[in-house]
Amino acid sequence: MSIIKTEQLTKVYGKGATAVTALNGLNIEIQPGEFVAVMGPSGCGKSTLLHLVGGLDKPSNGRVLLDGQDIFRLNDDELTQLRRRQIGLVFQFFNLIPVLEAAENVALPLILDGVKQNDARQKAEAWLARIGLSDRLTHRPDQLSGGQQQRVAIARALVAEPSLILADEPTGNLDSRSADDIALLLRQISEEWNRTVLMVTHDPRIAAHANRIIFLKDGTVVDETRLSSNGHQEEMMVRQKLEVAR
Amino acid sequence: MTFQAKLALRYMQGRKLRTTLTLIAVMFGVMIVFGFNGILPAMEQALQTNLSAAVEKVDLTITSESRGAFDASAVTLVRETPGVALASPSLVRPLLVPTAQAVTAADGTAITSFILRGVQPEQLAELNPVSLADGRLLTDADDHSVLISNNLAQQTGLGVGDTLVLPASTGLLTLEIVGITVGQPPMGSEELIAPLAAAQTVFNLPGQINTIEAKFAPGSDAQTVQQAVLARLGSGYKAGGNEAGSEFATAMETGRLVLSLFGIIAAAMGGFIIFITFRTVVIERRRDIGMLRAIGASRQTILGMILTESLVLGILGTALGLLLGALLAYGLLVGMQPIMENMMHARIGGPSFAPWMFVLAIGMGLGITLLAGLAPALAATRVQPLDALRPSLAEVERRAAGRSAIAGIIIVALAFLTLIAGNVGLAALGIVLFMIGLALIGPALIYPIARLFGRLLSLIFAREGQIAQGNLTRQPGRAAITASAITIGLALLVAMGGLITSLIGGMDGWIAKTLGSDYLFMPQSLVLGGGNIGAGPQLVEQVKTTPGVSQVATLRQTTAKIDGSDLQIVGIDPVTYPQVSGLIFAAGDEAAVYQDMANGRSIVVNGIFAAQSGVKTGDTLSLQTPEGVQAYQVAGIGGDFMNYKIATGYISQANLAQDFHETADLLIMVNQQPGADAAQVDGALRALSRDYPAFSFYSLAEWKTEIGKSLAVFNAMYVLLIVLAIPSLIALINTLAINVLERTREIGTLRAVGATRRQIRRMITAESLLLAATGTVFGLLAGLWLGYILVGAMNLVGLVFPFSYSYAGLLLAIAVGLGFGVIGALIPARQAAQLDIVRALAYE
Repeated sequence: MSIIKTEQLTKVYGKGATAVTALNGLNIEIQPGEFVAVMGPSGCGKSTLLHLVGGLDKPSNGRVLLDGQDIFRLNDDELTQLRRRQIGLVFQFFNLIPVLEAAENVALPLILDGVKQNDARQKAEAWLARIGLSDRLTHRPDQLSGGQQQRVAIARALVAEPSLILADEPTGNLDSRSADDIALLLRQISEEWNRTVLMVTHDPRIAAHANRIIFLKDGTVVDETRLSSNGHQEEMMVRQKLEVAR
Repeated sequence: MTFQAKLALRYMQGRKLRTTLTLIAVMFGVMIVFGFNGILPAMEQALQTNLSAAVEKVDLTITSESRGAFDASAVTLVRETPGVALASPSLVRPLLVPTAQAVTAADGTAITSFILRGVQPEQLAELNPVSLADGRLLTDADDHSVLISNNLAQQTGLGVGDTLVLPASTGLLTLEIVGITVGQPPMGSEELIAPLAAAQTVFNLPGQINTIEAKFAPGSDAQTVQQAVLARLGSGYKAGGNEAGSEFATAMETGRLVLSLFGIIAAAMGGFIIFITFRTVVIERRRDIGMLRAIGASRQTILGMILTESLVLGILGTALGLLLGALLAYGLLVGMQPIMENMMHARIGGPSFAPWMFVLAIGMGLGITLLAGLAPALAATRVQPLDALRPSLAEVERRAAGRSAIAGIIIVALAFLTLIAGNVGLAALGIVLFMIGLALIGPALIYPIARLFGRLLSLIFAREGQIAQGNLTRQPGRAAITASAITIGLALLVAMGGLITSLIGGMDGWIAKTLGSDYLFMPQSLVLGGGNIGAGPQLVEQVKTTPGVSQVATLRQTTAKIDGSDLQIVGIDPVTYPQVSGLIFAAGDEAAVYQDMANGRSIVVNGIFAAQSGVKTGDTLSLQTPEGVQAYQVAGIGGDFMNYKIATGYISQANLAQDFHETADLLIMVNQQPGADAAQVDGALRALSRDYPAFSFYSLAEWKTEIGKSLAVFNAMYVLLIVLAIPSLIALINTLAINVLERTREIGTLRAVGATRRQIRRMITAESLLLAATGTVFGLLAGLWLGYILVGAMNLVGLVFPFSYSYAGLLLAIAVGLGFGVIGALIPARQAAQLDIVRALAYE
């Protein structure tokens, strides 16, 4: 069974003459453990798709099935719990709490879920170690580089052991070297740690790390590509497809 | 530590300036409420010390229900009651000594306040023996002898054989110290024990006493004997000593209310600042909150997070407020001591903090903080997870302020109606309604006001003024809230300034009418019943026969009981008093009232009593007098300057003598004949006054100068005003600083496109000035209205004076408002100008 399935997913912003259709009857399916990148020109609806799959926004029409469950049938509290336990979110601007240390930031989802602070801290430290930040546990966000901040954010997304990671332009605010590191980390999350990753990105070089790329235009899927490996050749192909989609 | 508490503390540490400013706001409100309430018990104690007479420990003490004097023959009735072994009459009253006659202590302090206890020496020796440190006891043969306490002797060096000169109704009375008693002085005042006759001379109460002390026969039932004694004496007597008058209760209660009002206003200001702070905190942390919501924080978690932060601030602010409140109370009492000494000859002790004050201050500190944090916290729960993903841009408010403005206008109109209703409670509600109404109208007025002042501002800040104006008008709601910090502070300044000006103006009017005679023989204390020594009839006779004197009027004083409460009774001569002075009437025809007073048992009650008891013209009051219960008809409502703050009734001196046995003149007002030689009259009266040192003699000009000094005490209230305005300055700095934070990226962009640091600084200053100007306009409007309501409320409680305001005061208020704008901008403008461009552009 697919982990994510959207059926006729539609999102219209505004009303009347000013109405803008961000998603237009979108149907996609993502299998467990897949690393899927969503690409497309600005305004194609890729971020909207991510918001709807994450239960952050409500559709105008259609459904999002997560593990077969229609997430918009859940009330606010149930949806919040779903995000806390089954979905990990990674943002473009990291969104770390500036006054908390790295380990404390990572522990947040567990603490919010009622896990004891010591236990949450231990798990957070373990995840930070797995992503190579064991020497930055007590650093605050302003004491970390952009790449390190995004790694902390990824650790935070993983700490509650969710099955799905949603990443919204995770490298959009990083230099190319850090961006590559993050892309590799996301691939590792998918391949080694068996999590499903759905990533929105503008960057073909980053998208080339995914198993599959979905190209959107005007709220619908215009192309879809499976990638066998990553490298310059794949990147060039992604660039070409992206140009076509534009 | 919980997650919420940890996060709250970290955020507070992360914004030290804001945390400090907000803490000060909470602390300030608690400090005012706690500190002010802490000084009141000390003031009450001072009054009690000033007014009360000591009561010894005997089996039974009998006094008059009315607290007045009664015929000494009553002691015979007590003695004859079965079960009474001994009964002794005494006349015990506080006594103020003029500074010239004051006894000086070794440390230079002038001791002017005593309790004179007139006793029948040998009966006292049997009933309540006095222990002596030196000398001898009084005997029945003594007539000009006195016992003083060991404490007084040690303080002053006075000893057996020395003399004490006391003011008396006949002038001066010299007493020889024959013994030094052992024991502490009662109620803080030094006790002098003298023969009864001497005390009666001092107080002009021949044949009168005010206390009977009795001891019961062994084996008798105390309760039975007490009832038998009271039955034999008839109505008008009670078991127990004379206590401080509840006629001061209203004045003290009013004082408590006024001080509490200050505290509540200060606390409300604190709450307002906290509200603004947290409102902005929520805006500033929108992304953090959105992220927390996105990763699974429930709405309750977010609510708890913000409320925990406000609770932590509340706890810290309250704790500091209690500490500083206690220090404030100590400081104020030390500062007030000279005033109390001069005006009432009373010494104030230290502050006292009852458990309820702690409960009130803590409840208020925490309650207001939580309440102020609640609305922003609820707003925080409405932050959507998506807010974590959107770029943060300063939003432009597009919502029309029309509906709010209409609601505001309706609420302001309702506020006006509350004043017409003539009820103090409603009038107070009117103040709240008015402020709410103004807050709702505010955003609609921001645009026109900003445009108006923007033009003026562009003269000084040509380029930056325009940007500043745009910053305000794009978010009128936020601008209105920031401006309201100034509005509230200034409204308080203007309102209290108006109240004080009206009060002083009103008092001038009262003084001119009720104490405007050519010459005055004033008592030691401005509180008539505060231990003043009156003069016997000979002084007035001497004044009347002084060449050049046309009319003489006097005031006499005693106390009556009415429905268990004390009412000060002032005796006037209905014929001569209106010729020299006159009451100021709120109800009743002046001429008819005096006529009624001359014809029978008519009484004029003052406003404070009328408001307190709901008495109206035509009502009948049953006054408990030494002659039993007497019915007095209320002929009018009015009062004089001396007694406006004490529940007082005015009756004729004839009735005062008949029902209360009180004939001593406490205040004498004299007019000179037209064309008389003023210097000659002045000289003659002044010479006469020297024989009566209990009085201070003033010509009208001297009196005006003297009372002017006393009224200068009210200037202290202006200092209080400045203190009250501080929170609004804090609020302005706080909100401006937060505004700068919120617009960090925008300021970075301005710097990136070529704005100089100076231009940024000027932009923030211009913005602050615009906000201050807007706040000042609202503040003036609100302040005048609030002042009008406060004066109206004062009138309703019986303190009748017209509302007035000085133009100089208004100009000062404008200057203060704009000054706050400049001062408030200093820190935020500096912050903004020093922003690093790259960091500012990356700021989230």
